[in-house]
Amino acid sequence: MTFRKGQKVEVYRRSEDESWQGYMDRYVGLHGVVTDPDTVKNDPDALIEVTLDKEGTHRFPQDCLRALTD
Amino acid sequence: MSDRICPVADAVKRLSDAIAEGRLKHARGRQLAQDILRLMQDISSGRGGPEHLPAMESLAQRLCAEIPHRACQETGKWLQSVFGEQREVFLSHLETRTCPDADCVRLAPAPCQMSCPAGIDVPSYVTLVGEGRDEEAIELIRKDNPFPWVCGLVCTNPCEFMCVRGRIDTPVSIKYLKGFAAERAMSDRLYRNPEPSADNGRKVAIVGAGPAGLTAAYYLALKGYRVTVIDALPMAGGMMMVGIPRYRLPREVIDQEVAMIEDLGVLFRFNTRVGKDVTFNQLREEGFEAFLIAVGAHASLTVGIPGEDRYPQVVDAIAFLRRVALGDRHMPGKRVAIIGGGNVAMDAARTCVRLGCHEVSVIYRRTRSEMPANEEEVEQAEEEGIRFSFLTIPIEILGADCALTSLKCMRTELGPPDDSGRRRPVPVERSDYLLDVDAVIPAIGQTVDYSGLTDLETLKWSRRHTVGVNIASMETSVEGVFAAGDAVSGPATVVEAIGGGKRAAGAIDRYLCGIPQPNMPPVPVRRGRMAFTQIPASTKMSLQRPNMPMLNDERRRVTFQQVELGYPENAVREEARRCLRCDVCIRCGRCVEICRDKMGVDALRMGYLNFDHPGPTDFRMTAERCILCGACAANCPTGAIRMEDWGDERVLSLCGTVLNRLKVETCEMCGRVIGPARYHDFIRKRIKGINQHVTDRVLCLECARKSAVENQLEAGPPKILV
Repeated sequence: MTFRKGQKVEVYRRSEDESWQGYMDRYVGLHGVVTDPDTVKNDPDALIEVTLDKEGTHRFPQDCLRALTD
Repeated sequence: MSDRICPVADAVKRLSDAIAEGRLKHARGRQLAQDILRLMQDISSGRGGPEHLPAMESLAQRLCAEIPHRACQETGKWLQSVFGEQREVFLSHLETRTCPDADCVRLAPAPCQMSCPAGIDVPSYVTLVGEGRDEEAIELIRKDNPFPWVCGLVCTNPCEFMCVRGRIDTPVSIKYLKGFAAERAMSDRLYRNPEPSADNGRKVAIVGAGPAGLTAAYYLALKGYRVTVIDALPMAGGMMMVGIPRYRLPREVIDQEVAMIEDLGVLFRFNTRVGKDVTFNQLREEGFEAFLIAVGAHASLTVGIPGEDRYPQVVDAIAFLRRVALGDRHMPGKRVAIIGGGNVAMDAARTCVRLGCHEVSVIYRRTRSEMPANEEEVEQAEEEGIRFSFLTIPIEILGADCALTSLKCMRTELGPPDDSGRRRPVPVERSDYLLDVDAVIPAIGQTVDYSGLTDLETLKWSRRHTVGVNIASMETSVEGVFAAGDAVSGPATVVEAIGGGKRAAGAIDRYLCGIPQPNMPPVPVRRGRMAFTQIPASTKMSLQRPNMPMLNDERRRVTFQQVELGYPENAVREEARRCLRCDVCIRCGRCVEICRDKMGVDALRMGYLNFDHPGPTDFRMTAERCILCGACAANCPTGAIRMEDWGDERVLSLCGTVLNRLKVETCEMCGRVIGPARYHDFIRKRIKGINQHVTDRVLCLECARKSAVENQLEAGPPKILV
């Protein structure tokens, strides 16, 4: 799926994508907000910016994210 | 949530337990351990200095070597291993005054600061802006971001998405406060550079004068490096200058902030393309020891339809916006079609309107709800008269004699979701039609133009055609070559590029000083702990985020004048006062629990404490129920809640928000100030059934005792506790 700005998400698993960095393992299980999705064409393969609660803002591949419902 | 514990907080707790449980029986050993504990507590609470860690290491060594007691020696060895293995964390606490795990409660960062890719200490500068100290706010912001004015206008403001005030009503308008403060500081001639370090004689070359490159140049120049920025364009600013239209970001704003960087001695070589006009080898021969690639993502992707390469009236959006930014004011055609539904498509369309195009149509293959452009961009585009053709795909560009005449389109309908979960547009048979246009602007994505980087043969690239780096240090696969900005992330945000540029500057400094690189991105730095701004609870609740005054529609259609006109000063000062000061209140909820569960008063309605499921909040309710017992303040780990006596009143405040204030009573016998009547009533009710000698006299503890003795009464619980 693709994500929208302001959507609440969870980093639910580590990604196999090459952009996943070792230190990101500690973010698995954390919740955050999508702050900069792909604003060109909603490319599911694009890295998107997510701000994690207490852990800062990072660009993640989308396969490690899932939307949270309020 | 993360179950990781901060190593500093963990060490403090374990050593406290060892001392409290009496495990360190040797008197001198216990004393040494207490000395170490005090030093660790200093670090954990932001009071540590550069001498703390060496002193702790020395004391731990003495604990091992000088104390003939096994438990003391084991504690000393354990401490030595902690100080060795977690040295980076202790140093980070000392240098940044921030504990990202928030276990060192006085160093817990605010969510807005943590979310900022540049790590700006938001609560501190918002407080300064609220007090009218704009130049101090800008000085503070520029410790982390040399473009406060630019970001005050075009930042994507992740901080506002995390703003805790947004869980109560709406987030604090952080972005516009920054923009106002920068403009005011500049206007007052108080926007100043900090004093740079002495020239160290070492040269760094930065390829690209965009936000990442300029940010790195700023921080390296402050450290005393001789920085040269090389750019293919005739001016500095990169995508800020040629990608963002002037009606969103006036050129003067960029020019003035770039001039501040230039004033630090940074040299610029414009109209110079690396790889063509100068090579990396030539730069090395000139004495440059480190390089930063910050070339952005200026190459456009193509649509891939017939006719795209045939007509000069087909101009990609990035080239079109660049042309206009460099001064071209000719409209691309009277009737223009923009292909794409993203932010760049909106920028191109709105620019066309301002150039005088008669009809501007945006062609997008899905529906409005799937459009990736920001909602406010789409709304503003509609206000300016731009037409949208949803569920439409372009299939061919047609023309005659090198002149484009129409865009052949086909209608689509959304089919079932594909593997990515998106509903794929399916062409509707025989629905093709001609849209009469004389210019087409594709805006379907950008990528890195790598043509100037081919002489770095061992430079690794990602599968997304961006420069591969270690994000923590921004190092590429080529020694001494770093990269940041869109060249690394692909098309991203200005503030992300600024954060990357700052990180790269730190890494280049480490590289040139022979210091190992970090394995984690840096922790944001707490720049201060500002005094609270006093505000009544009713004001705190009733203040509303102001609406941004906008340029009228007519003028927006004909000029590149800034559309967002900025807040007036009184709105700025009031908006800043809506901040909850989350740099101090860590939202642990202890105050609420104590008040509700231990005291049974339940005077604190603070539903915003929960991130995932916030409940209702009303600071005004506290005054209705609070007895000013002070239990919340006594149990607050950070000093966010305070109970103080102001003259004849006792006041309870949360980060400056006055939750309750009541007149205090004085002892009938000695005149000493004691608590408010509501508190006395509460205590009286509680002990009425236990103590038969409760009277209506208002006495302090001491006088109550004296009175009891004088009256030869049996000693019982005093009526009043001070």
